Parts: sequence; C-alpha cells; structure tokens
Amino acid sequence: MDHDISKAGGYTGWRMTKDRLFRSVMTFGGLSVLIAISLIFFYLASVVVPLFMPAQLERVRPLEIHGASGQTLHLAVEEQARIALRADDRGEVAFFALDSGQVLKREPLPLEAGGISAFAAGDPARRVFAYGLDDGRMLMVGAEYGVEFRDTADVLGKPERIITPTLVYPMGKAPVQVDVQGRALRQLSVQHDGERSAAAALTADGRILLLDHSVRTNPITGESRQESTVSPLPPLPGEVGQLLLSVWQNDLYVVHDGRFVSHYDIADKQAPRLTQTVAVAPEGETVTAAALLSGGISLILGTDRGNLSQWFLVRDEDNVKHLTAIRGFEPMPGPVRTIAPEHYRKVFLATSARGDVNLYHATAHRQLLSRSLGSSAMNVAAFAPRADVLLVQQEQGPLLTAAVLNDFPEVSFHSLWEKVWYEGYPEPEHVWQSSAAVSDFEPKLSLAPLTFGTLKAAFYAMLLAVPLAVMGAIFTAYFMSPRMRGLVKPSIEIMEALPTVILGFLAGLWLAPVIDRNLAGVLLAILMLPISFVITAFLWDLLPRALVERVRPGWQAALLIPVVIAVIYVALQLGKPIDIAFFDGSMARWIENDLGWSYEQRNSLVVGIAMGFAVIPYVFSISEDAVFSVPKHLTSGSLALGATPWQTLFYVVLLMASPGIFSAIMVGMGRAVGETMIVLMATGNTAIIDLSIFTGFRTLSANIGVEMREAAVGGTHYRLLFLSALVLFAFTFVVNTVAELVRHRLRERYKSL
Amino acid sequence: MSETHKSLSIDIAGLDRPPVDQTGEIAMEVRNLNLYYGAAQALRDVTMDIPKRRVTAFIGPSGCGKSTLLRCFNRMNDLVDICRSDGRILLEGKNIFDPDVNVALLRRRVGMVFQKPNPFPKTIYENAAYGLRILGIKDKKRLDEAVERALRGAALWDEVKDRMNDSGLSLSGGQQQRLVIARAVALEPQVLLLDEPASALDPLSTAKLEDLIYELKKNYTIVIVTHNMQQAARVSDYTAFMYLGELIEFGTTDDLFVNPKNKRTEDYITGRFG
Repeated sequence: MDHDISKAGGYTGWRMTKDRLFRSVMTFGGLSVLIAISLIFFYLASVVVPLFMPAQLERVRPLEIHGASGQTLHLAVEEQARIALRADDRGEVAFFALDSGQVLKREPLPLEAGGISAFAAGDPARRVFAYGLDDGRMLMVGAEYGVEFRDTADVLGKPERIITPTLVYPMGKAPVQVDVQGRALRQLSVQHDGERSAAAALTADGRILLLDHSVRTNPITGESRQESTVSPLPPLPGEVGQLLLSVWQNDLYVVHDGRFVSHYDIADKQAPRLTQTVAVAPEGETVTAAALLSGGISLILGTDRGNLSQWFLVRDEDNVKHLTAIRGFEPMPGPVRTIAPEHYRKVFLATSARGDVNLYHATAHRQLLSRSLGSSAMNVAAFAPRADVLLVQQEQGPLLTAAVLNDFPEVSFHSLWEKVWYEGYPEPEHVWQSSAAVSDFEPKLSLAPLTFGTLKAAFYAMLLAVPLAVMGAIFTAYFMSPRMRGLVKPSIEIMEALPTVILGFLAGLWLAPVIDRNLAGVLLAILMLPISFVITAFLWDLLPRALVERVRPGWQAALLIPVVIAVIYVALQLGKPIDIAFFDGSMARWIENDLGWSYEQRNSLVVGIAMGFAVIPYVFSISEDAVFSVPKHLTSGSLALGATPWQTLFYVVLLMASPGIFSAIMVGMGRAVGETMIVLMATGNTAIIDLSIFTGFRTLSANIGVEMREAAVGGTHYRLLFLSALVLFAFTFVVNTVAELVRHRLRERYKSL
Repeated sequence: MSETHKSLSIDIAGLDRPPVDQTGEIAMEVRNLNLYYGAAQALRDVTMDIPKRRVTAFIGPSGCGKSTLLRCFNRMNDLVDICRSDGRILLEGKNIFDPDVNVALLRRRVGMVFQKPNPFPKTIYENAAYGLRILGIKDKKRLDEAVERALRGAALWDEVKDRMNDSGLSLSGGQQQRLVIARAVALEPQVLLLDEPASALDPLSTAKLEDLIYELKKNYTIVIVTHNMQQAARVSDYTAFMYLGELIEFGTTDDLFVNPKNKRTEDYITGRFG
C-alpha cells in the first residue's frame, strides 16, 4: 500500500481530475453569467449615452462666394446640403455649391425698378422669401430644386444625383401691390402654402397691412386666376418692429414699442382682429430678435440684454387664447442679434452681437451649445433642412459654414421627468407621445407616465398577490398537514410555468369583458371573500367539537374551497340586481357617466388580477420556503413555553422568516415591474398618470414592446426606448439586489441556528 | 452502603446526597398510558408517579420511549400528526388529556427544555422574558424582576448581567442551555421536563448544569431523560428504567442502581447492552 499522501494515482487521481474539472466548469459558468449581465448593461448604456452628449459645431470655415456683392439678406440650404442660396440687397439671388463656394446660377430678380426697402423670409421648410419695395409693392420668390439621377461609370454603379436649382414666383413674376397708396414697405412678413400666400407689411407712414393672395388654376384650361385682397390692421402704439406671420397664416405677431408683442387673429383675413398686447420684457429692455419655431406656434424672443424666452398662445377655460411666457433660456452673453429655427425640430440658434452662437432646444429646455465664432455679429443664419449644416453671415467678414452634430436635442432631464409645457397645452404636463403624422410636431418624451404606469401595474398586482401569497405561504408551511402541503405547493409552483402571453390574452379578451359586464359582482366578490373567511372561521368555532375533530388537523383549509366558490357565485348573481337597482343597469357605465370618472374596459383591476396571478407563485414559493425552514426546535421551544400556535407564529416564526418573506415580495415586485405581455395585452396602453383602478396605463416594458419596431434605429426615439430599458434594468437590478442583501444579512444573523 | 455498590459499574457512594424522602407528595400520576405512532406502539401501559420536588430520571436504550413519555407530560406529542394515545396523566388530579384542558396553560405549568439548546434569535433579556411576554405582561419593572430571578435561578445571572442586550445566540452552548432553563423557570412552572439537556454540552458545562438541577429541585419537580447513567445516578432521586416502551423498573435511584430487581435493568446499568 502506498502511504505517500502527496502522490495520487489511479482512482484517487481520476477523482481529483473530476473535482478540478467540475470546479472550473462551475467557475466558467458563473463568470459567464456575470459577464453576460455586464455586457447587457454596457450595451444598453452605450446606446443611451449619446442622448446626453452636447451638440457640436465642426469644420467651421469661411466660404468665399465668387462674385458676390452687396449685403446678404437671406441664406437657405437644400435638402442634401450640397447647394445653398444667397439673396442680397441688390435684388440678386445666387445658388452656390456649399463645399466650394462656386456659383452655379445667378439670377437678378424682376423688381421692375422698385427700390428694395424691406425683406422677409417665410417658414424655412417652405423655401420662400420676399422683397418689399419702396413703391408699396412686394415680390415673393421661392427656390425649387429639381433632382434627377444619371447613371455614371462609377465603380459602385451608384447613380449620380443631379440637383438643378430654379427660382419660382408663387405670386407671379410681377411684384404685387400691397399698399395702394404706394408708400414704401418698411417691414414685411410672408408665408406661402400651396396656392395661398399671405403677407403683412408696415408702410413708411406706420400702417400695417395684411395681404391675402391666392392663385386658382382651372384644371381643364390651365388658366390661372389670381385674387388678392389687402386689409388694414388696427394700428399699434410706438415704433413697430418685426412682423411674424405664422406658417398656417392664422396668427400675426407684431413686435412694437421696444418690449411689446401684439397678436392679431387673422384666420379671417377680411376681418383681422387685434386680440392682445403683451409686455414681453421688463421696462428698459428691448426685443432685438424674434422668430417662430418650426410648426409656427412658438415665438422665440431675444432682447438687448441677451435674454431669450419662448411664448405661445394658451387657451384658458373660456377658450380664449393668451400669449403666455412658457420658459426662459440660458441668456446670451450679449444682445441677441438673430434667431434661426431649424426646419423640423424645436431647435433654434441664437447669435449675439458679439459673435456668439448658442443652440437651444425649446421643449427640452436645454442649451445644447454655446460657442464664439469670432467677434463680428451675425446678420443672417440658416440651417440645412436636416439640421446637419449651418450657414451664418458675419457682419464684417465672410460667410461661415459649419457641420452641426446635434442628433438628440430633445432629451434632457426636464423633458424626460418633469412636467413640460408643450405647444398648445393649457398647462405643463407629463406626456409620452413619441410620433405623429406631421414631421414638425413636438415630440413628447416624458418617461414619467411610463414609469408611473409600471409602478401602478406593480402596485395593483402586488395588492392582490402579496396578501394572498404571503398568507397562503404561512398557512401552507406552518399549519397545513404535510400531505395537503405536498399537493398545494407544487400546484402553485406550476403556475409559474404558465406563459404570461396566455395570461395576457385571457385577461384582455376574456376577463376584461367579463369584469366589465359584472363589475358590481366582481367588486362585491372581492369585498365578500375576506369577510366570508372570517365568518366561516367564526362558525367553525361554534360547531360541536365532535364534528370539528372529525376533520384532521391541517386539512381545515380545504373546507374553504366550497366557501370561496359559493361566495363568488353568489356575488356574481347579486351583481345583476345591484346593477339594476343602484347603477341603472351597469356599474361600469354608471362610473363613466354619472361619476364622470374615466373608465376603460382593460383597466388596472384586470391587470391587478391577471398579473397578481402571475406573481403569486414567485412570492408564495419563496415565502413558503422561508416559513418552512424556520427550525422546528424553535417553534417547539416556544410552544413548550405555553405560547399558542399563533403567538409562536408572530413572535418566533415570522421573526425568523421575515427576511425570506421580504425578499419574496421583492422578487415578486421585480417580476411585476418587468412583466410585459400581460400589461401589453390586458391594458389600453394609454400613457396617462391616473391612480384610478378603472383606468389603464402604459408600462415601460409594454412601451418598448409596442414602439421598438417602429423606432428608427439610432434615432432619439430608439435610444429613448433603450433608456427606458436601462431604467427598467436598473430598477429590477436594485430591487433584486436589495432583496438579496437583506436576505443575506439576516441569514448571517441567524446562521448559528 | 459501600459494600453493596462494589458489584456495580457505577459508583455512587461518593455522592453527597440527602436521603430520599419516601413519603413525599406526588406531582404527576401516569395511569395505563399507551401511545402509538401510526401502527407502532411506543409506550405500553405505563403507570408511575412523579414525586414532587424531586429529580426523576428516565433511562433506557435508544428508542425505549423515555423521550416519548417525557413529551406526554406537556402534550408536545400533539404536534406529531400520526400520534395518538390512551390512558391518563394527572396533574393535581386533573387528566391533562381531557378535551377541556388548555394546552398552552398546561405547558406553562409543565415546562420543557430540549436536547439541543434552542434560544430564540432575540436578546438574552427577551429570551428570558419570552414566556411572560406571551402572557401579555408589559410592565417593565415586573419583567426586569422576573428576568433577574429566572437568570439567577438558572445560575446564569453573573455571566450575562452586563450583556442583557446581546443576542442569546452569542452565548456558549452551556450558557445557552441554562438560558433556556431560565426561560422555562421564568414562568415558575410546577414541573420541569429536561430532555437529555446535557447531551450537546462539554463536561464542564455539564457539571454546571448538574449543579443547577440540584439547586432547582428545591422548588421544582424535575423529570430528566438521560443517556448517561452516571448523570442519572448523580442528579436524580428516582430513576425509571424503560425498555421497548415498557416501564421495567422504577424506584429510588439508590435502590435501582444498587439493587436492580429486574434482570434487564441490571444488564443495562452494568453495561451489558444498550
């Protein structure tokens, strides 16, 4: 026999090898899980992080336009950001290549000897601008870009894109008379939309005129007929500054007397109305720049002190609109010179008289960028339609171009979590509305209603699941006979295996209508069940002992099964008469119509029941183990001291089992928070903040499920869904970690038992 | 006395023990007790009297039913589903198996200490006060007094008086066992059942525990189950020898060890089986 314990051969050697092998497999498996979880986390984070990056201006460079003369009045860029347009104060428009500055086309405008006295640019997305002349006429000009593709001998065989810019004259090539008295136009604002154009103009003698112009083309003859009317607007005190027509030609804002803005309702162009005059700046401060954001609802005002503010019309209870200060922005270092909105998003650029450029997102209430581009003021600024290129004209100096990296301006702490005052809303609200039919709509990206929905779903589910599961677990582990426990525990644990999609559609398609029809009965059943348990227990105590003792100890719970069935049956039967007697036939309709509460068929009650059902097995199973694993010698010790079983339960068993029960509830909570299919199918998925049990909600997880497939990969919406995934991940991670820590700590404490 | 002891393996001659009072009162009477675990009979027609304020030891080989008998005295066997019994056990003339007996009250009067120390995961103070707390006593002063009395009674006071708020689990095994006895003593029961109380303890703790038992019998009737015959000989006044569920022999410890009347008793105590 070999007595050398340092040597192991034969069978012992193989045992050692197996031991080592299994140890390394285990280690590998454990580490893989950790790595996988970290990778998920880092992947989610890597998608989310760009949302919070500040905007950047890159490749800022001067651009020399060959043969350019005069002052720049207007700049615009076409969709592909290859060709730009410059209109100058001599009535000449030049199209030039954005990369080289080479002029592609130069066109003098048919101003017919009128001197230029005013200039206006319409909504940038509509690509029109207009010259006001000193004889009371105006000329509207539009830029169009024809695109054709030509096959080239390119290696990749990609067709070359040929863009041909042309100028069009929406109101005709001849200037249109605005002021019949023939006074010079000092200020001008224009909008053009299809066949209809509007212009507001200030004449040299201080009148404000509104021009309504339409072109009707006979589809058969091809003849077009122009109609135009000019209406005088009620006059305003003080010196009139900038005029701002909204893109829908419904509203006209006029800056006047330094710090006042007046609003005209011009929906009916024949009868324009001055609705209000609002002081938009404190005394001593002067509005120096104004612009309408994309969508034409919000007014951005800049002052000589560098203050920037957003205003729009807010309806009050009487349906009267008031021009209201919505929010102020981080001020500019000097007087605001120009404000240029993006074409589709609520981003605007503000420049100061000292050469600073700041980028802001209005809804997100966020300063995206603050930078100085030299010391010269900027006269004109324009974004490319896709907001990837910026053109600015320095007062002293050349034209500057810059690439804009600003993909996710809409996201800020404010827009995600705080109440936001959206355009057209009567007050700040939490809203989730990630997409709409129009491209210049204001995305409403509040995660608050989704988070609220998640917690609401979890709350109602836990409201059902925790009492049932925990009390059931205590009874099963502590009072139930072993044979009955052997039946009950596995049955409940099998519920875990039920696919939640099945629970979801049962809840949505079967349970929701059933509850809707029998709301009174269902609520009555929920109320009567616990009461009936107490009554049954009381009656049980009154029964003759001989009868009681025939039921074997630990089987009493089985007696409740017929009670439960009977109570539910009776409650549902009573539901109808109650409906008829008190609720005009249907409690659901009564809540909706008589109480005026919101009521949805797929409501929190349905989810509470369905998801509670899904969560019960988790909570039950872990709690039951916790109660059952309380050492028998402790319960015996307590009983031997004359404690009743209930005293033993409260003073010893629950004390010992509480960490396990706590972590069971936490695990259940984590489940309820992350659950997707049930909430997706059994609620209306409306992202509202409403605690009522009769309304639905939208959870973070359901939101991801619904919207992920329609979110553009890499876009704000897409990344925001990842952010909600990260929030969800963090939440479940924290909940589970807390549960595990508590369990671990308390297990440590009772380790010696 | 010393002459007769010589033939025995256990020498009890050296023990300083007052003579047993043969005319003492009776604390509990067992009458024709049979007990079954399912189909198996664990106790067979046991009849005996437990003398008041004396230590009665149950000895016998494993599985002889001595612990089962002990657990009948405070009906701890009720917790075993498949257990049923007939016969009577009288406590002050009242059959404890009567349906109108409140088990919780019975257990308050017949306390029990288990083989393995089982303090609750609470402070030393709360452990000692547990029995009073479940009685609903909240008066701090009363609790303090009772706790001190119980801990003194269990000879633990001096060791723990400065650490009453430490966990009961922080004590050593012997201290834990004495804490558990204090817990039982705090209720001032009439009878104290000790189920192999020293089997999990080291010799020093065992010695302390035996001293304690000696002290306790001044006030309490003690019934102790033990595997250790020397311990039975040392601490008990009366000894019952059980074998296969039957009470084989019951008498004063001196008599039983010195003059066993039954052959099996003699075989057992002389170490011929067990």
